[in-house]
Amino acid sequence: MEQPRVGTDIQFAICGSAGDGTIAAGDIMKRAAALMGFKVIAFDIYPPEIRGFGKCISRIRISDAQTYSLKRHSDVLISLNDAHAIPHVGEVRDFGAVLFEDNSIAELPEGGHISAHIRAAQVPYGFGIREISEKATGLARSRNIAALGYAAGLFNMPPGIFHQIIAEKFAKKPRAVTEDNTRAFDAGVEAAARVFKLDDVSVGRPLSAASGADAVMMTGNGAIARGFLEAGIQAYFGYPITPASSIMERMAAALPREGGRFLQTEDEISAIAATLGAGYAGARAATATSGPGLALMTEMMGLGVMAEVPFVVAVSQRGGPSTGLPTKTEQSDLNLAVYGGSGDAQRIVLAPTNVEGCYRCAGMAFEIAETYQTPVVLLVDLYLSNRFETVIPPRKNIFAPKPRKTPKMGKGEEYQRFRLTESGVSPRSIPGEAGLTHTVTGLEHDEIGHPSDRLHNEMNAKRHHKLLPATHFPGLTTQKRFGDSGKVDVGLLGWGSTFGEILETLYTAQGQDIRVAVMKVVMLSPLPVDEIAAFMDDCTHVLVPELNFEGQFANMISGATGRPVTRLTQTTGAPMLVDDILAELHRLIDSPAPPPTSSHRTAEGVRA
Amino acid sequence: MASPLHHVIIGSGSAGFGAAVTLRKGDPDCRISMMTMDSLPFYNRYDLPQIFQGRSDWRDMLAVPPTFFDENRITLRRHNRVVEVDGVARRIRLAHQETVGFDTLLVCSGGRAYVPENLTDKLPLMHGMGSYEAVMRLYRDLPQGGHAIFIGGDMIGIDLMLMLVKTGYSVTLITTPQTLWPHEVSDEKRGKILAALADKGVTVVDSARPVGIDAGSDQGAARVVTLEDGTEINGDVVVPACGLVASVEFMLRAGVDIERGLLVNPELGTSNEAIWAAGDVCQIWNDEDKVYQFCHGWKNVRIMGELAAGNMQGTHRDFDVRVEDRIDLDEAGNIVSTFWEH
Amino acid sequence: MNEHVNPVYLEDKLDEIRADGHLSYRSKSLPTWCPGCGYFSMQEGLTIALNRLGIAKENAVVVSGIGCASRFPFFVDTYGFHTLHGRTMPVATGIKIANDALSVVAIGGDGDAFAIGGGHIPHAARRNVDITYMVFDNGIYGLTKGQTSPTTAQGFKSKTTPYENLDMPLHPLMMLLSYRASWIGQAYAGRPHHLAEMMTQAIAHKGFSYLHILSPCVTFDKTDRTYGKLNMQVHDLSEDHDTSDLIAAMQQASAAEIPALGVYYVEDRPTLSEEMDEISRRARNAPPIAE
Ligand SMILES: Cc1cc2nc3c(=O)[nH]c(=O)nc-3n(C[C@H](O)[C@H](O)[C@H](O)COP(=O)(O)OP(=O)(O)OC[C@H]3O[C@@H](n4cnc5c(N)ncnc54)[C@H](O)[C@@H]3O)c2cc1C
Ligand SMILES: Cc1ncc(C[n+]2csc(CCOP(=O)(O)OP(=O)(O)O)c2C)c(N)n1
Ligand code: SF4
Ligand SMILES: [Mg+2]
Repeated sequence: MEQPRVGTDIQFAICGSAGDGTIAAGDIMKRAAALMGFKVIAFDIYPPEIRGFGKCISRIRISDAQTYSLKRHSDVLISLNDAHAIPHVGEVRDFGAVLFEDNSIAELPEGGHISAHIRAAQVPYGFGIREISEKATGLARSRNIAALGYAAGLFNMPPGIFHQIIAEKFAKKPRAVTEDNTRAFDAGVEAAARVFKLDDVSVGRPLSAASGADAVMMTGNGAIARGFLEAGIQAYFGYPITPASSIMERMAAALPREGGRFLQTEDEISAIAATLGAGYAGARAATATSGPGLALMTEMMGLGVMAEVPFVVAVSQRGGPSTGLPTKTEQSDLNLAVYGGSGDAQRIVLAPTNVEGCYRCAGMAFEIAETYQTPVVLLVDLYLSNRFETVIPPRKNIFAPKPRKTPKMGKGEEYQRFRLTESGVSPRSIPGEAGLTHTVTGLEHDEIGHPSDRLHNEMNAKRHHKLLPATHFPGLTTQKRFGDSGKVDVGLLGWGSTFGEILETLYTAQGQDIRVAVMKVVMLSPLPVDEIAAFMDDCTHVLVPELNFEGQFANMISGATGRPVTRLTQTTGAPMLVDDILAELHRLIDSPAPPPTSSHRTAEGVRA
Repeated sequence: MASPLHHVIIGSGSAGFGAAVTLRKGDPDCRISMMTMDSLPFYNRYDLPQIFQGRSDWRDMLAVPPTFFDENRITLRRHNRVVEVDGVARRIRLAHQETVGFDTLLVCSGGRAYVPENLTDKLPLMHGMGSYEAVMRLYRDLPQGGHAIFIGGDMIGIDLMLMLVKTGYSVTLITTPQTLWPHEVSDEKRGKILAALADKGVTVVDSARPVGIDAGSDQGAARVVTLEDGTEINGDVVVPACGLVASVEFMLRAGVDIERGLLVNPELGTSNEAIWAAGDVCQIWNDEDKVYQFCHGWKNVRIMGELAAGNMQGTHRDFDVRVEDRIDLDEAGNIVSTFWEH
Repeated sequence: MNEHVNPVYLEDKLDEIRADGHLSYRSKSLPTWCPGCGYFSMQEGLTIALNRLGIAKENAVVVSGIGCASRFPFFVDTYGFHTLHGRTMPVATGIKIANDALSVVAIGGDGDAFAIGGGHIPHAARRNVDITYMVFDNGIYGLTKGQTSPTTAQGFKSKTTPYENLDMPLHPLMMLLSYRASWIGQAYAGRPHHLAEMMTQAIAHKGFSYLHILSPCVTFDKTDRTYGKLNMQVHDLSEDHDTSDLIAAMQQASAAEIPALGVYYVEDRPTLSEEMDEISRRARNAPPIAE
């Protein structure tokens, strides 16, 4: 189990059936905690099934110090539907609390009630959730809010903040909805006041309540959308696909307000094609998709590289290959994102590791794309896309576009769209600019842009070299080392959402007297090879945990540096567990050199 | 292979716990479900007065670590109230509408505090002492050096009173016919024991029936107890300590014989061959005196639980109802009671 | 049915051509098509059309796919995007959406349009993107050297149909009519003046205009869609055809094996950009969105 932290570090899990208001209750809880001034990380799981059947879970970790992943063990489980919640009782830690309906109106079969599954070390709180809701509002609909009130009461969280969030949440609905839910909440608080608290879960006072008002609760996808908007995105084209759709839906609502344009296209090919077209015409344009869509987009990605068109593609990975596991997280589209397509088509790939990173990377992606005249892929995964974190955006928009410079031509000078320059970046004109007409093409071309194989080698070199300075792009963290400095026993290299667990592993390991350091790599293409190599120089063992089968990132790293790494891979559809990374770390420390190079977790366990 | 037997135990007190341990020892494969209204895993109730000495974390109070239940595969179902037992269909019904079948049922539901009839409507103004939470509430509501008024003075209450005077509180005992329960003693001995209590600092009000309890004013005492003669006694808390009555209401339709408790034979079987009982809830046939009698006390109920469990699994052992029952003063003037031997 | 051409003198003609100005829309690159290919006429036609409509070079974007026809952007001096096989429609849509001031002309062959790119056309048409799509239908894959295409006639022998093509060909005009393209017409590479006129009208139309151009591939089709045969077959749409009548347009389109030349259907309805502006107006009046 994770080391308990000083101060508040509580994880709530709310579980129910679609229609129980599970996600809504979780939403209120996370927003309230953020407003109280806590850091929040949250992740909701929705059913892939249609409304009315499936299971919903909202997990919310609130803490006064920044945390980087969800905890394996929740401190509190609130069951709004026992059938769904029973399999999750086990995740509640010893002396944590389980809140459940004690006054069912339906007949239950033997074992159908959650009380049959609560371990002796866990603390049960049975109460009449439905009854509280009905007494307060006349209806059972506010069960979720009544349960939330009970939890708030039990853990002594200020009701006023919840009232405020409830009012915000139901602002669009008739006033009675807010009133009813507030009453249900208060009735829950009151019911909790009558019970004797036996768990040892305690929500303290946040370190600084001041930041609470500035903190914005966002998902990774929400942060990407917000970053796009602050960067002045002008056109968005997309085709729905889990888990990227929420970016698209957000764009559909928000972009037209800003005067931007949104279009749902007929497929991913047209989504990226239109994005490329708009980028070519000078607009800040983006699309978003998941692995299957990215597979369709690769041909156009190559055209973007070849024709040197700036645009942004956000990719939220899910389990693959093929249609794969639409609602499960995975990091197996790394190869596709970095290499996908024909020929040598180097592009920029950014993989933020948390929600704040999603916001920053999305905010800067257009500028990077325009600077290097190339497509930029923003690579996240379902776990990062859908998880909530508190982000404190800067008061002033730092992503707004700067005015474009039109290439200046000398007298009699012929405009060369693809002129070979020292940096590799050529002067770019866009349609509408007089005297600079030219044609771009996916065929190899000369400096003017005419089809020609004469300069293929030079052009390939240009397209690669122009990207290299991106690893030191001003204001962008492309890699960062944490933990012990100097020589370490084990160094962990991580990317994307898994880095949260890696960082939590570091903090746990540091408490165990192991010399350990970690490095996150945000820019996956081009790779910041020098920094990675320097980091590896310091490590006796290098461990690369990631959520794919082959160790795609490990392959990239060892290919780029020519050094062995130890792989820790897993494709269970779930985030990697800190415990598992820690176990591998201990195994490495205990193992005699040379280190083994791969270990893969299957459903049955670890196979070395 | 026949499916393993399902033993259901109602109650997680000393009797129920002893039974569960015995059942598991006797049959590694059987299913054991323990239904209880408690919220804590098994703990020694007699330790509860120690809360006043600062032992207030319930985890320190547990008789076995919580993992014991996992290791012994005893399904402990807390916050579960049994509302009905069907002795023919062999199933119990829980308040939250779940039905659970059993092969054998052991009822160890103990008893709850008896409150004199004329005071039952004053229950909300009284503080119980039957559970960890109850004693914690008492602890919380009794201000430092405050005044506790006990009505009755059963052996459980006396234990607590002695702890209170020892830890700096003042205590008044208003006696009732149940004083010294479950002991039955001569008037002379009763007087001696009450005198010893007074010696220890307890204010004893003998032979004056309490007829009212009221919430006091904001400024004054929290509770006011009125005696039959009109005297008013001010205190902070009022604790009923008039012995226990067996908890049997959920057994009324089980088809077993009930008097005040569940009637069982010396092997602790009821009139239904699948249903057994042990602990404070049962009255055991005393073949010598030809009566059904209660046998209270920690040590006794534990033995009962273990014995009933053995008999459920096929041994045939009788519970010896001639249990030791003695209360006295030692040389130093301290009260000694077999009830307090664990 | 050949157009009557009076004898011309080269010098007079050159003067006339220079003065007219459409030559300035030509790029320095000479077309790489086979001599005699029908595609030459479209270079002439499009430069004339742009010139007539007074569209500045920098405000015209010619977007093409891949194929012989799609080579076109290199031969005009406008902005040009030679994209991917089959993807002219979405790229052109993106360009237009990014900048309404641009005149966007998409060009492709029959394979580019109706084989690999067939899925995009209905959507460009139904959305009424304000672009012009000119499909040069030679009934063959020219660039890849003579394989059959979705418009190849039954019975045609090609490298991929050595035992004759048995597949039924598509009917592009009927398809576009049913997609409700808001301007639909047909022209023929062998009638350059008519072609230029049709191109002018198509570009001038507000909304999605589709111009189908019959064009012989002199290198890979010696038997079917030759100048000789087409010259015999093409005819004009009757003068009294009502271009607002969709059903009449469909009847005309299906009346002959080679449908008539001319404008089949014209409709005035909001373009995609206009719709998007309306959406923006509604969005601005809507209550704020929660994070
Ligand atoms: C504060 C205190 C101090 C004591 N001190 C001593 C002492 O020092 N020495 C001594 O010998 N004895 C002492 N006793 C008394 C002794 O604890 C009892 O004799 C003993 O607890 C009886 O055990 P039991 O298992 O029969 O029932 P209990 O311990 O009373 O347990 C009854 C169980 O049945 C459950 N139950 C009841 N009804 C239902 C229902 N409908 N559905 C589900 N579950 C139900 C309850 O939740 C509980 O778990 C003390 C008791 C108390 C409260
Ligand atoms: C994805 C892809 N598949 C295949 C090709 C090869 N290819 C190039 S042009 C072409 C067919 C062109 O036929 P058409 O569109 O009718 O144009 P034409 O050459 O006849 O003008 C093909 C198959 C390609 N460039 N890209
Ligand atoms: S191959 Fe056919 S279509 Fe292509 S240029 Fe030659 S004649 Fe024209
Ligand atoms: Mg063709």
